[in-house]
Amino acid sequence: MATIAPGVKTGPYHAVLDHIHPEPTSFIRKYIFSIDHKVIGIQYMITGGLFFLIAGMLAEVIRYTLLQPNGQMGISAATYNQVYSMHGSAMVWMVIIPLVTGAFGNFVMPLQIGARDVAFPWLNLLAFWMFPVAGIILFSSFLVGAPDAGWTEYPPISLQGPPGTTMWCIAIFLIGISSTLTGINFIVTIYKMRAPGMTLTRMPLFVWAQFATAGLSFIATTALAAALLALFCERVFGVPFYDPSRGGSPVLWQHMFWFYSHPAVYIMILPAFGIVSEVLPTFSRKPIFGYKMIAFSSVAIALLGFSVWAHHMFTSGMVPWLQLPFMIITMVIAIPTGVKIFSWMATLWGGSIRWTTPMLFATGFLITFTCGGLTGFFLAAVPADYHEHGTYFVVAHFHYVLYGGSVMGLFAGVYYWWPKMTGRMYNEAMGQWHFWITFIAFNCTFMPMHWLGLMGMPRRVPIYDPSPWYVFWNQFASISSFVLAGSMLLFAYNLWSSFRSGKIAGPNPWGARTLEWMISSPAPYYNFKKIPAVLATPYDFGNPLPYLGLEAAEGATEATPTHSSHPVPTY
Amino acid sequence: MPPRRRSRTSEELLAQRIVKPKTNLGPGFWPITALIVVVSLIMSWFTWNAGWPVGLIPAGDPAPATDFLFKFLGVAAAWIFNIVTIYTIYFGIVFRQPKNAPASTIGVQIHDAPVLEFWWTAIPTILIIVLAIISVKIWADIQNTQGDVLTVEAIGYQFGFQFRYPKLAQPVSGTMHLPVNTPTTIHVTSRDVIHGFWIPEMRIKADMVPGLVNTLRVTPTVPGTYRIICTEFCGLGHGAMHSTVVVDTQQDFSKWFAQQGASTGGGGGGAIPLAQGKADVGKALFGQKCSACHSTGPFSQKIVGPGLGMIFNDPAHPKLVNGTAPTPQDVAKIVHDGYSGDIGVMPSAQMNGLSNADIGNLVAYLASLSKK
Repeated sequence: MATIAPGVKTGPYHAVLDHIHPEPTSFIRKYIFSIDHKVIGIQYMITGGLFFLIAGMLAEVIRYTLLQPNGQMGISAATYNQVYSMHGSAMVWMVIIPLVTGAFGNFVMPLQIGARDVAFPWLNLLAFWMFPVAGIILFSSFLVGAPDAGWTEYPPISLQGPPGTTMWCIAIFLIGISSTLTGINFIVTIYKMRAPGMTLTRMPLFVWAQFATAGLSFIATTALAAALLALFCERVFGVPFYDPSRGGSPVLWQHMFWFYSHPAVYIMILPAFGIVSEVLPTFSRKPIFGYKMIAFSSVAIALLGFSVWAHHMFTSGMVPWLQLPFMIITMVIAIPTGVKIFSWMATLWGGSIRWTTPMLFATGFLITFTCGGLTGFFLAAVPADYHEHGTYFVVAHFHYVLYGGSVMGLFAGVYYWWPKMTGRMYNEAMGQWHFWITFIAFNCTFMPMHWLGLMGMPRRVPIYDPSPWYVFWNQFASISSFVLAGSMLLFAYNLWSSFRSGKIAGPNPWGARTLEWMISSPAPYYNFKKIPAVLATPYDFGNPLPYLGLEAAEGATEATPTHSSHPVPTY
Repeated sequence: MPPRRRSRTSEELLAQRIVKPKTNLGPGFWPITALIVVVSLIMSWFTWNAGWPVGLIPAGDPAPATDFLFKFLGVAAAWIFNIVTIYTIYFGIVFRQPKNAPASTIGVQIHDAPVLEFWWTAIPTILIIVLAIISVKIWADIQNTQGDVLTVEAIGYQFGFQFRYPKLAQPVSGTMHLPVNTPTTIHVTSRDVIHGFWIPEMRIKADMVPGLVNTLRVTPTVPGTYRIICTEFCGLGHGAMHSTVVVDTQQDFSKWFAQQGASTGGGGGGAIPLAQGKADVGKALFGQKCSACHSTGPFSQKIVGPGLGMIFNDPAHPKLVNGTAPTPQDVAKIVHDGYSGDIGVMPSAQMNGLSNADIGNLVAYLASLSKK
């Protein structure tokens, strides 16, 4: 143990990387069955991106069907039910969760804590390969009749569902195990493998978000696994867990399902919070406002998130007084969330803001996510929920938090870390066009669903009231959604052309200060030749870099300015 | 005597974050704040006075209380949304980096502002306490609403609603009738899968869960015809599973109730003209009314119900699903009365909108299929 700076002791692992295990050279070990967290992260991103394409096309089939009120668009009710069920299942389990944890958690988190890999690289490899297998099982259920009772698959209707429902159970069970393994891996990595001096309160906020998320995946997913196993046994072996005509309880499924699936909402949104908390200070050239409040509010949201699941079940039938604690705890979650939103606004205030694409998406996130959060209040208040439950208002709400929140955050993250992943810059003008089209088309698609729901349009219907008012707003939403899908082409083309011939990015194109920007782009095998000691949070743009003993990549520190009026480090 | 502390230099003070860098709200901060107030006031006024956020009349007793909650939520949401959105856009414009700024330009290096943070935690907390109190109060009022003057059972099935009234031997299918200004309790349940029971104009909803009875209390206040909508996915016909509730005056309700008591058989009554059945007319009817659930294949070729192509001479199933022999009369009886048993549920002829002549044509068509 040596002391390398006041208050910073090194561990035995703080050493120059004396011997590097040779980088695998075969294609299979390098790109297919790699144990490198960066490769696995990018594998998650490509696989999740492909599934996003499929699930997005399913969404367009839904909107296409709803162009006409009486099912004249040629999609039968049976097909429609399968399509919307698969859209929801795929988007939650095969797209957003693997992308926010598997892709960004894997690629960014070890780099940000100054680690050379995650704690259990082989476990990481296993967790990744369960993901495409689960995805293929899920999507191939279309061959035998896909699940058709929504992504929630409430029994008893899911007990009568097509054979694909059993495949759905297996696929979601597998992705659940994958998610649990990733959770364990990240908890251990973040807890044990931070660079010396990086105390918990010096971690980048994205790492805090991943830490809270990993805890959620690790604990909550077990409940889903149990529920799925029971559904599987009931469908295949006839064990009556849920069928009321044989003594089972349909509400049991709902409790177990939502005990997972509400925390899953936070699994999907917390990493997006983390991405936004990195992007905003970097492009405002300012420390993140209220670092500790943002960090601790993630943990508070994760903890509270475990005790609100039954707010999805206010009309399902439970002891009436039990609705009150669930309602009040749900409302309390708004306090840490509000703290985050105000802190992000205050980060913008007084900044020197560079309006790049990731910054636009992070700010767009701030606005659309706030909108989704406010409709959350409407749904939390029990008497109002009696009116809204099971209507398009709910559809609008969760698309505002999942698309306006998670997916906008993902876009910000892809543009932000793209140079670190590929070493190349994307086309900035095209990126900004992508933002504006996405932002406008997204709001036009989902905003009308609020009033459609309040006026009486239920969810999960292939046909609806043919009066002109309903037809107009449904067609408005559908056409907007086609534009939204079109904006994805721009996104895909931008990334593809950048990958082919983008400008070389250099190690730190943004002048950011977290550790991943201190090494060359794309990040080298084994990340850090020498593991640095960390002296402070990374966000003090006025101070010298808080890293000691870092062999920074050439040019990595140049873009990080110091300011003459703030010469004194805060550590 | 302790040694006198030397005065600290401004660098040291800065290091300990005691001296804050100068704050700068930007040139238009107060006008923008005024704009937020004005816009929010206008939106609040509209929310409070227009029929918004829910653009439906309140036709039953919990509805005005629920609408009050909606209006409160709408006003609060308008203020929060305007504050977040307008300030965010304003900061984004005012504090943007000038075009030719050197790469080293940075923003104000401020980390936190405890007073500000206290207020933006405290004010939402107070708002949430107020909201929780209002919600709990309205929730308690709904729970304690008087019901029980009239008690109706609503039973969901794939894909329709049935209603049982006290003193009526037979359930009423299709339209529900309620007398105005009568505290009513509605017990909802289901025969097969989970359905939803929603009357949007009365802001009441409960899931119809098989094996479980959920309770709604409502006092209809405005005579008229309103929608009943299924809000839980229940299968192929979910989108079409809706009905109507007619809120009658007391006299009209009594008249309707007496009629129900008189014709307890449902359907049209009278004999089914089996002999006059026409197979070709029956074929067209089958396509409209039956083919969503039944194929014309053998019994095992199920869609929702069994295949009916060999119903009169199927060696694998010599009896009908209710155990009777496959005679034209017995088949007609199932089509007329509907079926509810261990292989599922089929709505009655009345629910399906079939006259006795229609039944005769359908039976003739099925008989023609079985001959092939």
